[in-house]
Amino acid sequence: MQLSQRRSAIAMLAPATGLIAVFIMVPMLLTIWLSFQNWSTQTGFSTARFVGVQNFLDIFSQTTIGRDFKAALVNTSLYTAASVAIILPLSVALGLLVHQKVAPGGVFLRTVLFSTYMVPMIAVALVWSKLYSPTEGPLNQMLGWIGIGRQTWLSSPSTALVSIVILNVWQQVGYFTVLAVAGLTQVPEALYEAAKLDGANPVQRFFTITLPLLGNTLLFSAVIAIINAVQVFEPVALITQGGPVNATNVLTYHIRRVGIERAQGGLGSAMAVTLMLALIVAIALLFAVSRRADRT
Amino acid sequence: MHKIRTLGRTAGAVAFLLSGTIFAQAADVSFLTHWAPDTVAKLEAAAAAYTQSHPDTKITVRAVPFGDLLTTLRTSGGGADGATIAGIYDAWLPDLSKDKLVAPVPDAIAADTKVNWPAGVVGAASIGGVLYGIPNEIDVYALNYNKKLFAAAGIAEAPKTWDEFLVDAEKLTDKSKGQQGFGMINSWAAGVLHPFSSLLVSNGGDLVVDGKPTLDSDAAKQTFELYETLISKGYSDPAMATADANTTGPFLDNFVSGKTGMIIMANWWESALKGGMGDALADIATAPIPVGPSGDVPRSISYSWMTVVNAKASADEQAAAWDFLNWLNGPDSGPNGASAMGDILMSMGILPSRTSDGAAFADRLAGDPFLTGYTETLANAKGFPVVLGGQEFSEALQKTLEAMQFGQLTAADAQKTAQDDATEILARNAQ
Repeated sequence: MQLSQRRSAIAMLAPATGLIAVFIMVPMLLTIWLSFQNWSTQTGFSTARFVGVQNFLDIFSQTTIGRDFKAALVNTSLYTAASVAIILPLSVALGLLVHQKVAPGGVFLRTVLFSTYMVPMIAVALVWSKLYSPTEGPLNQMLGWIGIGRQTWLSSPSTALVSIVILNVWQQVGYFTVLAVAGLTQVPEALYEAAKLDGANPVQRFFTITLPLLGNTLLFSAVIAIINAVQVFEPVALITQGGPVNATNVLTYHIRRVGIERAQGGLGSAMAVTLMLALIVAIALLFAVSRRADRT
Repeated sequence: MHKIRTLGRTAGAVAFLLSGTIFAQAADVSFLTHWAPDTVAKLEAAAAAYTQSHPDTKITVRAVPFGDLLTTLRTSGGGADGATIAGIYDAWLPDLSKDKLVAPVPDAIAADTKVNWPAGVVGAASIGGVLYGIPNEIDVYALNYNKKLFAAAGIAEAPKTWDEFLVDAEKLTDKSKGQQGFGMINSWAAGVLHPFSSLLVSNGGDLVVDGKPTLDSDAAKQTFELYETLISKGYSDPAMATADANTTGPFLDNFVSGKTGMIIMANWWESALKGGMGDALADIATAPIPVGPSGDVPRSISYSWMTVVNAKASADEQAAAWDFLNWLNGPDSGPNGASAMGDILMSMGILPSRTSDGAAFADRLAGDPFLTGYTETLANAKGFPVVLGGQEFSEALQKTLEAMQFGQLTAADAQKTAQDDATEILARNAQ
């Protein structure tokens, strides 16, 4: 590339890369820098005092800071694992149902499923908090009609996180179903015809053709589902405030509590950096597993 | 020439009008609160009355849910563009003043405040002898009970001691009806902490003394054991105790719908009960907190709210804000010698802390049966500790009490955890 071409390429790329640097890299680097400082979020950066890795030692210590952070990390991991484990298979199953041409109503079903994704979380939270009400909620009343006893839903530490997962699945599965349908449309019909001629039944066709060819779609869906789940905030802030007994205290909510309510900016930044590292590791592992599966 | 003169006059008139407009909105004052819409409307009406005589001040009111109030204050409220005035809870003051988010009250208004408010309330609004806010409401806790459920269970009057309280809780519990004797609260720090603390002080104990936690006392041990008994015997069902970000939710629904016999709550929730019960509020009565085996008289914790001014607002905005607050809390802004703030608070069933408001509303306070249990307790109330790290301390104790509610900790373990956590948190935040 000639010098003039290189200069014009730099000139054309500069606005975009400049914006990325200002709005993405600077806050990220600032958060990493703050994670090594003792700093109140209500004061200027000039008041930050370097404390080395103390914030990271504190968030993994046996003090209340460490116990609460580790519990939030476990809650976030469980929430993410459960959400992804339910959403992905369900979205493929619903995608097959929507995509099939044997029975009518596929487009209508897809619209209904996707509509939950478009409902604002504040409305979802208001409705679901009432649905989950242990004594007067419609869910328990409906369960009662079929002889199932009262469930505690959000009112018990043993069921609260699962209840938030169910809410998340309900809201997100339509979006991932649309992704699955997009993937299914890319599978050549000829492969199914050939498999039928070879005598493959529907189950065999699903596991030997559909699922392998949906690999890239599922990988993309898994990455998005993990990121969405790790960033869960609204249902916790609006419905449970992390309770009861911190059972739904996920990391984003906990970081907000520490970094903003308590103004402990250094600790909050250390938690945010740890969350970012955990997310990077999880996504990298996912890609590694996917590559390995492709090779075998 | 005539045209030029006309043009000149027009330009002069426009310039005068423009300058008038600019001066008419010289100070924009915003007021951040957590009050409900109907109460916000009353505050807006008071602001409109004030701006009639102060056209140079424009006052706007912004409301957020209680659960978001501190966060809003900490984020947008802390900057020059944040709210000029904010209503805050006294436990938040040490941290907010440490971060220099709140301005000291001007000397003249501070002197007036010290004369017209009880010393304890002024003390809760001060740090190191410096007054940071004009106090308005004071809250204490009382036993709220359902008279119909009491009559159905054959209970003649409210319990006066813990022994009577446990006997009544047992009589009121009927699992076949989904009815609990005593309603606890979870998922809301103050909702968990304040009833527990009120029982503790009514048993002669304290949460914090001279900045040090005293949850290892015998009085605290008995209070933890009381909670354990209520849970283990099934008199209180933690699954009926959840609160949401608006400090409502199942715990309120269960009391309102007659599935909870007794609850310990502050006077401010009269408006929430009215909203849920309507005329059936007449079925609810209040009484002082039952006295524990180590206590002498019925006590409750108390806490106060105050209005503070943003230290990062401009000098003009701060001056306008203090002038408005001085008027709002003064004896000329409300009916019959009461303050407009006192009138707003009374509309929610909240006790105003200004001494002259107490006199102005004496008839209403005496004639409101719901407030009886609270006004009887007021003289013996103990202030909730105002310490650095108070929010973190509250959330840690909340978690421990909730763990005990759900059977994850015994009373002994909960007491040890609570004392150890409080010691570590208060020591760290005091540094």
